[in-house]
This record gives sequence, structure tokens and C-alpha cells, in this order.
Amino acid sequence: MAPSQAGYAPSLDKLLKSLKNHPLEASIDALIFLLTRRQVHGDDCAIATAHILLQVVARSKWNDVDQLLARVQKAGSRLVYAAPDEPVIGNIVRRVLGLIRDEASEERNADDLSESASDIQTLTTSSSPPPRPPPLVRSTTAGGSMSVSKSMFNLLSVADPADLPTGASTPVSQAQPASIQALRSEVIDGIEEIMDEISQADDQIASFAEIQINPGDYVLVYRPSKTVEKFLVKAASKRRFTVFIAGLEPHKKQGAEAPYAALRKKLNAAGVNTVNLASNGLTAYMARVSKVVISAKAVYQNGGLLVDSGSCIAVQAAEAYSKPVIVLCGVYKFCPQDPSEELSWGGVKGNSSAEVSYAEGAEVDELEVENTVTDYVRPEHVDIYLTNLGPQTLHHFAGILADHYKPEEMLLSLQLGEA
Amino acid sequence: GRRPSILVVEKDVRSGIPECFSHVPMAKRMPASQAHKDVHPAVLAVGQEMATFAIRDSIARLEATLLAFKKVIESYETPKGNSLSRHFVPHALNPQIEYLTECRPMCFSMGNAIRLLKAKVNKFDIDTPEDEAKEGLLGAIDVFIKERVMLAEFVIARNAAAIIKDGEHVLTYGRHRLVEKTLLQASEDGKTFEVSIVDDPYDGGGRELAKALRHAGIRVFYSPNLGGLNAIAHRATNALLGAEAIFANGSLQAPAGTADVAMAVSAQLKKVIALCETINFDRERISVDALTYNEVDPERNTAESFRLLFDNTRDKYISGVVTEFETGSGLSPAQSI
Repeated sequence: MAPSQAGYAPSLDKLLKSLKNHPLEASIDALIFLLTRRQVHGDDCAIATAHILLQVVARSKWNDVDQLLARVQKAGSRLVYAAPDEPVIGNIVRRVLGLIRDEASEERNADDLSESASDIQTLTTSSSPPPRPPPLVRSTTAGGSMSVSKSMFNLLSVADPADLPTGASTPVSQAQPASIQALRSEVIDGIEEIMDEISQADDQIASFAEIQINPGDYVLVYRPSKTVEKFLVKAASKRRFTVFIAGLEPHKKQGAEAPYAALRKKLNAAGVNTVNLASNGLTAYMARVSKVVISAKAVYQNGGLLVDSGSCIAVQAAEAYSKPVIVLCGVYKFCPQDPSEELSWGGVKGNSSAEVSYAEGAEVDELEVENTVTDYVRPEHVDIYLTNLGPQTLHHFAGILADHYKPEEMLLSLQLGEA
Repeated sequence: GRRPSILVVEKDVRSGIPECFSHVPMAKRMPASQAHKDVHPAVLAVGQEMATFAIRDSIARLEATLLAFKKVIESYETPKGNSLSRHFVPHALNPQIEYLTECRPMCFSMGNAIRLLKAKVNKFDIDTPEDEAKEGLLGAIDVFIKERVMLAEFVIARNAAAIIKDGEHVLTYGRHRLVEKTLLQASEDGKTFEVSIVDDPYDGGGRELAKALRHAGIRVFYSPNLGGLNAIAHRATNALLGAEAIFANGSLQAPAGTADVAMAVSAQLKKVIALCETINFDRERISVDALTYNEVDPERNTAESFRLLFDNTRDKYISGVVTEFETGSGLSPAQSI
């Protein structure tokens, strides 16, 4: 596989450019298509999800917060369902839902404030966003969260315009579309902030590289992602070390570029040696390796990792030789849930046709060929979680999750994926 | 005469090896014309086969070497004024050994066999008639192949097959002759069991094994690489692994990836059983990692890729070793031989 360059996968790039010109539903369907075919995968899923949800907020029809939440959740569920092995999609959906709730409660506060001041006109005519009161601290109980927020919203959402008495130009009904407009733009701003966070995460993580990589290190990476590549290149600008790149495709396609050629060129130019390990097992090299750097597809609440299949071989070998494992993961990859029972023992099955040619006859047909795409790494095998907020340990997880998800969304796991 | 100019521009095949692995030997294709003039044609052929990995596993190399040495012995004539016991080893045998070592570093079984052969020569009296000595050596080699190779294989397969129980799920890595024999033997014995084969994509032997087992009616799960190893280890009841050699400290030299499999299986508290003929045991060398004794894969020694052929599985990840003498039971295997 060609090393990833700056920018997104071509298919995603194309999709993002087409968003404005295509109907919303067509865009959602297009991303679902790309997700199911894994043409958009890994870290690109997060940014793609954010883009689509932004379109949902901006372009779908909704008259109150509940409808908006329902729209986002519906579109989000479909995306999650399309790529069940990309939990980061669910994370972004949760954060957008949380954002909408936050903004809605702020709106309500604003409404309350202005109502108490009997000055609705100023709110509706004012083009500037309403003042931002501190977010409400809600004590919701498990299970009741949705109904709580619904009833809360009913308090402020005046019934449909159709139900309104004649003489609809009451201050309240004037306030409605305006506050919807305000909410829409607030949420869009919020989603854009999330997109900024995602796109800056790699650079922020890389800024810790020179602390983690020491001169003379032998760093083992497994199928380096964009995140790992940036990290290595940044470290190479300050340090002299050696990189072992593992997880090559065993059978190079005709005419394909040499594996990780672009990354190696960059590192070599900075005076960092690289060795492509064409090897299945990695224990053989561990005596020489001084640290293992991998990136995670997702980090679960318990500290376990969802990784590309094979990374856990590197991690297990590192454990046997007591070599530190550094996991690069933006906080947007932190999932407010535990891994499924199934995942914690196995991977998600992948496509096997690439590995065995069925033209070989009956014997091969009868084999049960297994090819996993993702793997699970247990939390005890991870030494450092290096995030855009700096290095973390398991002890910080509850805090990070609480900062990024609302209790309602933490409970959402069952609803997502069952759409 | 003058050396052909081609040799001057021939690039050093070892130049591609990264500095940190530059101590590790590598098989080398050497034109037959470059070999020492005393190298016997039969040995030349074996050397080429080893250099190209047409013969690759330890026991196959041992057997081919010994059969070629028989040809060397048969065609050997002691020069006048010399005796076989003084002249044969330094002048007839050593050039063969040097050539073979240049083609590919010797495996432990070859080293052990050659040591035994030399000891046999040394035991001859200086006055032993040449014919008698040659007969003695040829006979010794025949017995050696019969006992240490053929009988060993038979006994190990039988003993290891006895370990497999009905309903078990056996995990193995790549394709090893002893493992294959064992599984087929167990199936022949009427045992019902399943096999998961984790393959090395750079070797692909596991697919051949899968076909052979499938042919014998064994249910086979095939995984083309180590991905998903933990799930496969979770499903397995035990693992059978073939070894290339066993060091004095009980650690295993085996195809790269074996250690990863052994660790994953033993992490789940399942039995890891190694199969190895005693001729592959080394009682002098100790190895605690894969970088002390190893070989560079000559096929994967380019600017784009590098690969070691073997790895080292520490004895703590191995529950027992089955040899032709006894079934190990968690004892440090090398010390029990």
C-alpha cells in the first residue's frame, strides 16, 4: 500500500468537494458507500463524519432541537452501521449530539434570561449570538436521559406554527425561527471546532516527539499511519535514531511504489536510518528495538486499543522484552465505552479473497480462511497514551471522557449501530 | 590466470544489510566455478540447493549433506605415504564443509553430524586399511540417517500424536515436517480434532500443510498471517511447533514468527509443545535473543526490505519438547537430553 500523503484518500477528497453541490441524502449515501468498501477508513472516518453531520445540521429541515437531534442521530447511526470497526465515527456523532444539547440549553438560558427581562425583541433583531452562560450541569439518571432532555425542550419549544393562534406575530413565535437560526450557526461553529481539533491532533501529538524519542533509539512502527509518520518526521528533525518499519504487504503489486518510500525518503534526508522489516513475526527484532510506536484506531474506556491487525504482534513482542509501547491517539479517538466481549478476544473478520486464490481448486475452497482486519490491545500492554493534550495514562481517562462527552451520549452506545 | 572482470564489479551482497544486523550471516549464491577445486560434484550440487533454499529445513540439509559425503568417501583415495585417519578430514572433508558453509551457514544438525563423523575418523587406528575405514564410515552414515533422522521422525510423530486428544483444536505455525507427520498420524489413529494454521506470508508453507491436512479429512482453519493471532490462540487448546534447533538453555530456534505464536498461546495458559529431533540440539551454545545466532533471508535483503529467518523462543513459553527419546514435560528440554 502506498504511504499516505498529506490530505485525505482521493475518494474522500472528492466526496468532501462535492458536498455543497449534492443533495444531503446523496452525500450521506456516498459516504456510506465509501465506508462499506473501506475506501474511507481509519483516521479519515472522523473528519468525514464531522463533514457529513455538519451538512445534516446546515441543510436538513428541523424545527426544534429534538428534530435536529433525531436527524443527526439517524444519519450518525447509519454511518456507524456502515463501518462497525470504526468506533471513531460513533465518537464524533456523540460529540455533535452533545454539542447540540449544550447549545440548546444555552439558547434556552438565553431565552429565559431575555424573557425575564421582557426584551424578546432585542434578541430576535440582534444579529450577534446570545450571551453564553455557563453550561448547565444536568444530573440525569441512566435511561431517562433522552426523555429528560425532551421534556426540557418541550418547556421552551412552542408548538408548531400551525398550532399557533391567529395573529402569529406574537413575540414568542418571532423568537422561534431566529433561535433556530442561532442554534444552527452555533452548532455549525461547534462542529467546525471539532474538525479543527481532528485536523490539528497529529501536529499536536508530533510536538511531543522529541521528548519521547531519544538519540540512538531503535523505534519500531507497525504500518505507520499519518499520525505516526508526522511523529517520526518531527522527531527526525531533532534526533538521530533508527526506524524499523514493520507490517509491509508481503506481496508487492506489480509496479507499486516501494513500501513507505516517501516516509523513508523524508527520514533518510534528516539523517534517520530506516529498515523495512519484511517479517511476519516481530519478536526476532525486539532485542534491538528500544521502543514501539503505534497509533490506535480507537481507545476504549478501559484503556484497551482498537488497532490495525498485526499491531498487537508488535505490542506483545515488546511486552516480552519489556520495551515501552507508545500509542499515538488524539482524544477524539477516546470512546466512552468498553470493547465488546467479542472484540476483546478476537478481531473483526476481513476479506479473505485477497489472500487465497480460489482458482486453486477444491482443497482451498474447503479451508476456512481467516483474515482479520482489526485487533485488540489490552490496556496493560500500553505504557504511554500520547494525545494532542500530551502524554496520558489510564488514570486520566475518566477525566478526558467527562470533558468530551455528556452522560446522555455515553449511554448511547446501544442505540448506535442498531439503526 | 586472470580473474574474470565480472567478479570485480559484482557488488557485495552483504552491503544492503543494516548496520545493526551486520553480524548476522547470510546464504550466498556462489558460482560452482568459484568453488575450491577439491569440492566434490555431489557436494557442489547440494551447496547450490542450499544456497537457493531448494533444500531448506535442518533435517533435509543434514540428510543431503550426509548422502553427498558418502559420495566423497566412496571416491576418496588416500595418497601414498598418508593414512586415511590423518589425511581424510583436513584434505578431503574440510574443503567440502567450507564450501557448504559458504553457500549457507551450517545448521546445528549438520554441525553435530560432522563432529560425530570426524570423531569416527579419529578413532581409526593409523594402520586401518583404507577399504575397511571407508566401509566403516559409510556404514556409520547409514546408521546415523536411519536412527537420527528416519526413526526419530517416526517416533516423534507417534509420541506427539498420542498427546493430541479427541475434540482438541491444535494451533500450528507455517509448515514443519514433524508437525505435519504428527497431525496426519493422529488423524490416522482415529482422533477427531481441528487445526488452525497460522501462516508466514513470506513462506506460504502453511497453505501446503492446509491442503495436506484437508486431504486427510481434518477440519482446517487457515490464517495467512499473524493478524488475529490472539483470537486464534483463544480458540485453540494447544500448539504444536516445529523447531530448527534447541539451545543449551532450552530456547528454541525456529522460523521467524514462531516465538510470537508461542507467546500468544502461552499467554492464554495453553500448552505449547515443540517438536525436535535430538540431532538439532546444541549443548554448547546459549541464546537468549534472535540476534546472536540467526540468518539473513537472502531473498529479502534489499533496500526495500530486510528479514531474519529465525527467531528465538525462550523456554518459559514452551510447555514441553517431544524428541525421539522421551516426551518432555515442562523440564528444561536441552538439559534433559
